[in-house]
Amino acid sequence: MASRQRYDFLLYGIFVAAILVAPLMLDEFWLNRIAKYLVFGMLGVAVALSWGYAGILNLGQGLFFGAGAYMLAMSLKLASPTSLQQGSDKPVPDFMLWNAEPGALTQLCCINKGSFIWLPFQSQWFGVAMGIVLPVAIATITGMIVFRNRISGVFVSIITLALVLLIRLLVIDAQPLTNGFNGLTDLAWLTIGAFQFDPYSRATYYLVAIALSLVLVGARLLVSTRAGLILQATRDDETRARYLGLDVPSYQIFFFVVSAAICGFAGMLYVMVSEFASPTFMDLSFSITMVVWAAVGGRSSILGACVGAILINMIEAKVSETKALVEVWKAVVGLIFVLVVLYLPRGLGGFAHDLLDRWRARNAEVVPDEGLVVAESRDAVAERG
Amino acid sequence: MIDTMFIGLSLSSILLLVALGLAITYGAMGVINMAHGEMVMLGAYTAVLSRIWLDANIVMAIPIAFVVTAIVGLVIERVIVRRLYGRLLDTLLATWGVAILIQQAIRLEFGLSFFGIHVEGLGPGLQNVPVPAALQGTFHLAGVEINTYRAFIIVVTAALAAVTWLLLQRTSIGMQVRAIIRNPKMAAACGVDVARVNALTFAFGSGLAGIAGVMMSGFKTVFPDMGTPMVVDGFLVVVVGGVGSLLGSVLSAGLLGEINSVVAALKNDTIARAVIFGVVILIIVVKPKGLFSFRGR
Amino acid sequence: MSFNRRDFLKTAAITSAAIASPSVIRQAFAADPIKVGALYSQTGGLSIVEKLLASAVQMAVSEINAAGGVLGRKVEVIVEDGASDPKTFNEKASKLVIQDRVATVFGCHTSASRKAVLPIFERRNAMLVYQTHYEGFECSRNVVYSGAVPNQQLGKYIPWIAKTLGKKKFFIVGSDYVYPREMAKVSKKLIEAAGAQWTGDEYLELGHSEWASMVKKIKDSGADVVLSNVVGDSIIAFYREFKNQGLSQATIPICATVTSEIEIAAMGPEYAAGSYTSFPYFMSIDTPANKKFIDDFRKFTKDPKAVTYHSLEAAYFQVFLWKQAIEKSGQVTADGIRDGIRGQTYDAPGGKVKIDADNLHCWLTPRVGQWQPDGQSKVVDAWPEPIKPLAYSAYGETESDLFCTAKGLETAKLK
Repeated sequence: MASRQRYDFLLYGIFVAAILVAPLMLDEFWLNRIAKYLVFGMLGVAVALSWGYAGILNLGQGLFFGAGAYMLAMSLKLASPTSLQQGSDKPVPDFMLWNAEPGALTQLCCINKGSFIWLPFQSQWFGVAMGIVLPVAIATITGMIVFRNRISGVFVSIITLALVLLIRLLVIDAQPLTNGFNGLTDLAWLTIGAFQFDPYSRATYYLVAIALSLVLVGARLLVSTRAGLILQATRDDETRARYLGLDVPSYQIFFFVVSAAICGFAGMLYVMVSEFASPTFMDLSFSITMVVWAAVGGRSSILGACVGAILINMIEAKVSETKALVEVWKAVVGLIFVLVVLYLPRGLGGFAHDLLDRWRARNAEVVPDEGLVVAESRDAVAERG
Repeated sequence: MIDTMFIGLSLSSILLLVALGLAITYGAMGVINMAHGEMVMLGAYTAVLSRIWLDANIVMAIPIAFVVTAIVGLVIERVIVRRLYGRLLDTLLATWGVAILIQQAIRLEFGLSFFGIHVEGLGPGLQNVPVPAALQGTFHLAGVEINTYRAFIIVVTAALAAVTWLLLQRTSIGMQVRAIIRNPKMAAACGVDVARVNALTFAFGSGLAGIAGVMMSGFKTVFPDMGTPMVVDGFLVVVVGGVGSLLGSVLSAGLLGEINSVVAALKNDTIARAVIFGVVILIIVVKPKGLFSFRGR
Repeated sequence: MSFNRRDFLKTAAITSAAIASPSVIRQAFAADPIKVGALYSQTGGLSIVEKLLASAVQMAVSEINAAGGVLGRKVEVIVEDGASDPKTFNEKASKLVIQDRVATVFGCHTSASRKAVLPIFERRNAMLVYQTHYEGFECSRNVVYSGAVPNQQLGKYIPWIAKTLGKKKFFIVGSDYVYPREMAKVSKKLIEAAGAQWTGDEYLELGHSEWASMVKKIKDSGADVVLSNVVGDSIIAFYREFKNQGLSQATIPICATVTSEIEIAAMGPEYAAGSYTSFPYFMSIDTPANKKFIDDFRKFTKDPKAVTYHSLEAAYFQVFLWKQAIEKSGQVTADGIRDGIRGQTYDAPGGKVKIDADNLHCWLTPRVGQWQPDGQSKVVDAWPEPIKPLAYSAYGETESDLFCTAKGLETAKLK
């Protein structure tokens, strides 16, 4: 087991080194594109944590991603040069005027009924803080209700799915406050001191890459703590874990919240690299896509899920930008999903682990160590959902 | 008030139409079939194509669509779903991929568009199916003006639900299906050919989706993405109703449809949809197994 | 893992090599093609409409190439797929502008996708040429807008409905997003100015197609005309439900701002017969130029039943305006195009169009069409000439008091 962990950390080290060295060979377009994919990689980590380790298939991850994105975007929108009365201490987002009743006062406090909630977002750091606080708060409340009621399996998925669709509907409907379907666009760049994060710059890339590295390593360490082990025990047999006297819901809520926080964080980074926030972040298809990334990468491997997300996006970009395939690329991607689920049930991560274990077993001329057995039984259970 | 109730009944019947097939595939087999919406879409396209090629009207298209989508369903079961029994969430992912493939197949006219061949009725555009004059307009019943086509949908849905119930309760294969719903391993031990019954069940569920597609084509647009939103509503109905319970699905479709209609009449359609999502969450929290259920999945 | 890494190193090496190639060399080959982007959804829900727009752009380019190209250079179209998702639009736009270094992208259809790509064009100084009628309230120096804005669709329409049709009670209905809400806002002012009133202003979720409750509301409201800003496939379900609930276009006509030939063909023309739409272009415009355009488009798409409509015509003629702009300024850069295109006129299939020198929007002729049982419209009212686009008309912009000029937006006037 210990040696397995050593290999694991070696792989993590290689990945982190790779994403940190990559900018030396990337032009500004690829810096930005890879930065976006690294953000998606972070979503893969979040899905692996809640699905692979906690057995909670959250089909509403997009909600937390969207919450993080909107919180930061609100701050950056107020700082944008397109905001009205920019330069004064009371800027008003341009779309609010557009959605205002005729004759309304052009002030953030009272241009429409709810606009006062934008007031604190004049501080960029309030937006940054809320980008984590809001997803955490939503996840905590949802988690308390769901896990204290011992709801599990597919029912958690349906609740999170209904929740993300509900919030998406409300965001689109609250157009005077959120700019509805168009989302928040024309944003300023994140500023620290006098430094501005240009989305196409190396600085922004490194911000994303370092953030991902920390999240990745943090998540890996977290799952090997006692809490992580208890959680895996719960996933494998919830009833037994309860009989052992463990406070199962608390652990589930904790991991659900951590996963949500990572999503919110990813949402904020995405706003920085793509310069907009949109209700399509809360589309059901995006949340399912995240799960597919993790499934392809390997749901019970944090690094695997992360690499899976990056890899699929690379493939999508490559195929969709091949002239002959521009209309069929979605079919190609659909085919990959089907084939991976059928033939690599544990994803690329699981496949890599198998190869590694087989190779070590052959070299050491010993029977595969318990790590493999644990991994297999874990997957057998995960497959049952 | 009566017309609001009628609209609610109509919304319920449409929900149930889509949910009926899901209730069977998901309830009996534990397959989360994300491609179910695409089966509805295929049914609708069958109606379009049978009008163009066979000059068949919407009523005649119903059996054709049932057969076509049942065959497609059978193929999907044999090739993909069969390998995934017991892996509930994997079926979700694999059928999500299948859904993308089916959509692209229709959009690209099964790849023929690459060779410059155009099949009338396929492709990325919007298609429509004319409704016979007898089913258009309104008629009066008990002093209320009733939409003929919606009444027709209600009748068809009721008939399908009744047929499905009879098949499950009164035939030997239905009994085998019910045995599998309760306990697949025990059923197998008692000599039920689980693989065969599952294949037939999946085909039947897909065929029901095909009929739903024909009915939809009469008042909605037919295009390759039409099924995606339907499958979500369908799942909400089945889960709220209780997995594996046909009666549960009927009642939950009725409940959600009426709530939608009443709230839409009082406030507006957006709030009505928000309320529906809220009610679904509430029901699952209060009764996690759904309103009626034989067992949880 | 290692595969992935090697893979992207390779891609990176290729791209950096491409960029390193000195621009001097490029200049030397003057006959190099001019690259332009065509960024429309080829997949996903919006591809129904956007694929046709991409075809119209490609058809215009092939006609230009057949006639000798622009400044003696061929035009090459790079097609990218926006996949009906603003995230993808954003990514592909940066690919076209930064990696492929195109100066012009024809593309986007929804406002949401245009808004998501705008910063890329503005910060990198490239040109987006956008054909769809939209809600206005935009004054970008990096977008040429060849579609209609509210004053061109509603300015003459509402008074015409009130006066010629004699309708006094409007029910306004739309999809739940910016365009319909903005159109409703502009309409209400015009309705009141025309001495009529509105009895309802309701919205349905975008892409939603269950109209039973809404149509019943319209029925119960006592309105004598419906102003529809509904978009997409919802339109079809709306018109069908309207007829199925026993409402008649003869007594309560639907007057639409978005319903075009494409939706009429898709719903079955009998459902729309008698209703109206306000657009600058209709397929039924009876001129040799338009007949040729329709024939050419059908041949180009190999679809003998293809229909043409406002956005499609705009997607087509905007390419010729772009060509003239480059020929005038002699430069294939965003600045050259912007300077060159101001005041350009072109004889489009639907008549004369002109890019406004102030705000880069397009002068178009307002027309009202009444839908006939054959799926075509009869133009029942037309303005004699193109009128000036005013993107801020809802906020008091008039021809004599412009908010958006060549210098940019005068924010002080927004109140």
